[in-house]
Amino acid sequence: MEFFDNLPAMDLMRSEKMTFVQLIIPFESAHRAISYLGELGLLQFRDLNDDKSPFQRTFVNQVKRCGEMSRKLRFFKDQINKASLLPLTHPTLQPDIDLEELETQLAEHETELVEMNANGEKLRQTYNELLEFKMVLQKAGGFLVSAQSHKVTEDRELEENLYLNNDYIERASLLEQEMQPGPSNQAGLRFISGIICKSKILRFERMLFRATRGNMFFNQAPAEEYVMDPVLAEKVLSRLSELEATLDAGIRHRNTALNSIGSHLKKWTDMVRKEKAVYDTLNMLNFDVTKKCLVGEGWCPIFAKPQIQEVLQRATFDSNSQVGIIFHVMDAVESPPTYFRTNKFTHAFQEIVDAYGVARYQEANPVVYTVITYPFLFAVMFGDWGHGICLLLGALILIARERRLGSQKLGSFMELAFGGRYVILLMAVFSIYCGLIYNEFFSVPFHIFGLSAYKCRDSTCSDARTTGLIKYRDTYPFGVDPSWRGNRSELPFLNSLKMKMSILFGVAQMNLGIILSYFNARFFASSLDIRYQFVPQMIFFNSLFGYLALLILIKWCTGSQADLYHVMIYMFLSPTDDIGDNQLLWAQRPLQILLLLLAIVAVPWMLFPKPLILRKIHIERFQGRTYGLLGTSEMDLDSELGSARQRHEEFNFSEVLVHQMIHAIEFVLGAVSNTASYLRLWALSLAHSELSTVFYEKVLLLAWGFDNILIRLAGLAVFAFATAFILLMMETLSAFLHALRLHWVEFMGKFYFADGYKFRPFSFASLPEEDD
Amino acid sequence: MGFLITTLIFIVTGVIASLLVRICCNRGPSGNLFHLTLVITATVCCWMMWAIVYLAQMKPLIVPILSEGE
Repeated sequence: MEFFDNLPAMDLMRSEKMTFVQLIIPFESAHRAISYLGELGLLQFRDLNDDKSPFQRTFVNQVKRCGEMSRKLRFFKDQINKASLLPLTHPTLQPDIDLEELETQLAEHETELVEMNANGEKLRQTYNELLEFKMVLQKAGGFLVSAQSHKVTEDRELEENLYLNNDYIERASLLEQEMQPGPSNQAGLRFISGIICKSKILRFERMLFRATRGNMFFNQAPAEEYVMDPVLAEKVLSRLSELEATLDAGIRHRNTALNSIGSHLKKWTDMVRKEKAVYDTLNMLNFDVTKKCLVGEGWCPIFAKPQIQEVLQRATFDSNSQVGIIFHVMDAVESPPTYFRTNKFTHAFQEIVDAYGVARYQEANPVVYTVITYPFLFAVMFGDWGHGICLLLGALILIARERRLGSQKLGSFMELAFGGRYVILLMAVFSIYCGLIYNEFFSVPFHIFGLSAYKCRDSTCSDARTTGLIKYRDTYPFGVDPSWRGNRSELPFLNSLKMKMSILFGVAQMNLGIILSYFNARFFASSLDIRYQFVPQMIFFNSLFGYLALLILIKWCTGSQADLYHVMIYMFLSPTDDIGDNQLLWAQRPLQILLLLLAIVAVPWMLFPKPLILRKIHIERFQGRTYGLLGTSEMDLDSELGSARQRHEEFNFSEVLVHQMIHAIEFVLGAVSNTASYLRLWALSLAHSELSTVFYEKVLLLAWGFDNILIRLAGLAVFAFATAFILLMMETLSAFLHALRLHWVEFMGKFYFADGYKFRPFSFASLPEEDD
Repeated sequence: MGFLITTLIFIVTGVIASLLVRICCNRGPSGNLFHLTLVITATVCCWMMWAIVYLAQMKPLIVPILSEGE
């Protein structure tokens, strides 16, 4: 075991060592120090002012001002979007401006913009009214057929009144026009004309009828082009064109202003965001009024300490402060956050594991194995090298366009696919490998690796359909023999093969999980866990399912006809019975009895000793006795190391016992159910193979049988669509999901505590983008 | 014999792959150990897959029975 101690620590195996630090910053360099630390992005601040409301904090005014400024910036962005201007991206060569200057500039721009909008609104209103008046004139000219209108025209005045409400659509502008009492108008006829909404015509007519007691003549026409009255119309038209010109000028002016804002907008938004983040962080520090400095606490990785110190020195120098910033290490009570330094390749896998739970501080990280086993188990369920090549092409396209796609904003589905591009690449490579082994290229087998091992018994092949072929050569060297495809006995053979394969993979992966729990226990120096958890678990699991795996291998190697179901079940039901025909090993019966006894002994072994010993240790400690001789320090109560809770001094025996019982029962029952759960590897690969066979035979071959080119093309198209959507997308997602479940529950359930919290440093790079 | 020879081929491929990875992406002892783990895991997984399928076909209990129309 010393071999493992002498190995260097593996990169991603355990989380970075963290240390708890305290910063004491003089007030004048505080702002600068925090913004430099934000650039560096390696320190997670603890909120020391947790109990204060947001309004009681020190820098609440600055945060409010930043909020105001970002509101103004959002307003500008809206206006730019509404005016459908493209945002200009000038390279920002302008000098950096101060925050106060920015504030005043933004305020100016805002008032300007609001004023321009208001003026534009008013002009537009006037314009629309004039437009309506023009239409009314056109219509009214058509109504007044009587010839006396000539004299009257000169006296017509434009009076606009009676707006029923301010809404343009519902407005009915009634223009009262007094007519000179002419000879035919002695009766006192008046006319009123205007514009009204079409849906309100009936109601209006009825209302007028009632109001005038039936003494009215109502005429209406839809607003179209009509004959117009020349003189008055000219006045109206000239005003209309003036207004149009004014409106256009106004819009142009506003667009220039928006353009000039737009070129700075991104830079300003970034600045304001950073400032707000800096003030939020400053709010987390304790303002020590008597000493005129700020005290902050936080976590940082040990490797980052020199970088942080250098940054702090630079901040002191840049702000011309007399006093340096004090930065020193402190002890912490709670457990540190978990930080893994991932690159773009391992990042996606770490995300997958973190989705189940963030690792406890410095426990073994499943990612080290998941990087390979996850795509591999996917491929076992997906195995078809034709589909694998399609997936590979897709992954390569995503990777080739990495830079371009990385800076764009993608839809949610594309973002998932892009984020997982390296996962998909590995999945594709392994799928090609498994496809070669299953010998399926869009479900067609090939003779790539030599001749098949089977041939007819005699040259007439008369009994090929009844008794079948025989094996006359050595086994097909790589993968499944191509003779199996399309047979009547294909499914029984493949089912048996794939089920046993699933059990073997399951036993292997779960053993790996239990072994990782050994390494965890060794790292945290908890020999209790090793002796009373790891050992009984290994014994129990391997005496039952390891034995099953062994039987499978022996059956394959010897070609025996033993029935493994029978062997396993009767091992439990009547272990002392004669095995008879199912004998696979020498001395199988005593061996089985021994294994059964070991398994039975292992169950109380993993259940009782640990709580009892914990209780004994606690009693000893509590009574103040000195610790015993043999490394009792290993069996410290602090083997709860890394739990985020505070250490309590009380020890509840029943609670610990129940916890251990749950753990033991989960393991024992889980051994059976988890092993069976691995049969999904068989199930999904069967489904995939059958689906692709159906599409190939019943779509492509069927369509190809016809001589008609159209039917052939149609068949090809249907085959392509079915392959792309059902096999490539749906099956990929399905296999992805099931491989994920196998990892999360069956593999990580054996060793992963997952009760840590993630390291979230204060970093400008990780600030959330504003919503577009 | 085919089994042992091919197993040997797998082992040799694994060794060559880890040497290649060490040559092209040398990243210090901890990084190298990580890469080595990945290569070993991949080799073991691939070998297991091949070995299982090969062993299952060595002494088969059923033989291919052609169906109608083959």
